[in-house]
Amino acid sequence: MGKILIVDDTLFMRTLLKNILFSGGHSIAGEAGDGEEAVAKYKELKPDLVTMDVVMPKMNGIEALKAIKALDPGARVVMCTAVGQEQMVKLAIKSGAKGYIVKPFQAPKVLEEVKNVLAT
Amino acid sequence: MKEVPAKIEYNNQWIVIKLGIGEDRLVLPAPISQEILFKAVADVAERKNVLLITVKTDKEVVYKILSVEKVLQVLKKLILGSCNAYRLMAYFMSPAIRGGVMIKEAAWEKGSVVVVQSGIWFVSATKQICVPVVDVAAIELTKRDVQGKPTEVVRIDHVESGEVVSSLVLCPLSTLQVLYNFLKETTKGMDMKGTELDGIDQQVAMLIYSGMDSHAIENMLNIPHKQLDSIYDKILKLGLAEVVTIRREVQLTTKGVRYISDATKSQTN
Repeated sequence: MGKILIVDDTLFMRTLLKNILFSGGHSIAGEAGDGEEAVAKYKELKPDLVTMDVVMPKMNGIEALKAIKALDPGARVVMCTAVGQEQMVKLAIKSGAKGYIVKPFQAPKVLEEVKNVLAT
Repeated sequence: MKEVPAKIEYNNQWIVIKLGIGEDRLVLPAPISQEILFKAVADVAERKNVLLITVKTDKEVVYKILSVEKVLQVLKKLILGSCNAYRLMAYFMSPAIRGGVMIKEAAWEKGSVVVVQSGIWFVSATKQICVPVVDVAAIELTKRDVQGKPTEVVRIDHVESGEVVSSLVLCPLSTLQVLYNFLKETTKGMDMKGTELDGIDQQVAMLIYSGMDSHAIENMLNIPHKQLDSIYDKILKLGLAEVVTIRREVQLTTKGVRYISDATKSQTN
């Protein structure tokens, strides 16, 4: 079980992910609504894993991922984006993402992916 | 002509036969005594390990064949290669996404996409995957990064054991457009305007998709039970969901109140 930072610009998606992760026995380290806040919260909270939306205001998810990896090369980040943006996968993986989930997602699969990434 | 052991449904009973497999036909021995030309096959479907072959001549006949996986694979490959269907050579990736999670080991496979009456088949040297038309949730022309270039592909989503599974098809753009149009036509009974649900209804639908129960949905969206019930009614009426469990809310009768009062007394005495 891990301490997770949820990054998404919509409250709805953050609440949904929080519920799914709680149901899997994880704890929520914190939430962030954009990339800049995500990097700041990562420094402050040192979570075991980050779920990171790709399209966000101020700093997008890929830039935030790179900034977090620069701070902590061992950071575990699972990218989370909408259907149709799957071409971002390679860029995200190249930038150090450990996993990738596509919205809309189903709870058991999200928990499985989080479990796999936490095991790395 | 090769002969393999198989079971076939005949007069509502499974009987054992020596199934003859030729280059262009199947031979069903007595008591059935029929030949099935592959080109006369109008539909091929698979339910668990049973292969359903629909032949249309003067009338429509469905043959149900049961055999070991190896034999069924040979049959599917032969029939799908010659039956009456929309067929195109393509690269496909199936499954590519399962439940919203990208499948890391998924790879493009060279083969063909065969569209029959009841399903879409992905056929390669090693795989025959069937997506039943009734289970298709979405068909979309989208872009995918292929060898470093954003490339047009057709994405087919279907529901399998409660999970949404996405498959991708890659072929020249003109063919892709034809495939997309053909698939849209085949599945047009499932199409909706997209305006049937308003904001909160859509959020409820997405939470159901994600596996949330009524209690979690009420808490997450901060809506009363009655409002959620009326949204459920709307979603059910549109055929977007089905009832799996009815949970009851109850209150104690006088008899129940007395029982609990007595139980509490006996605990405190």
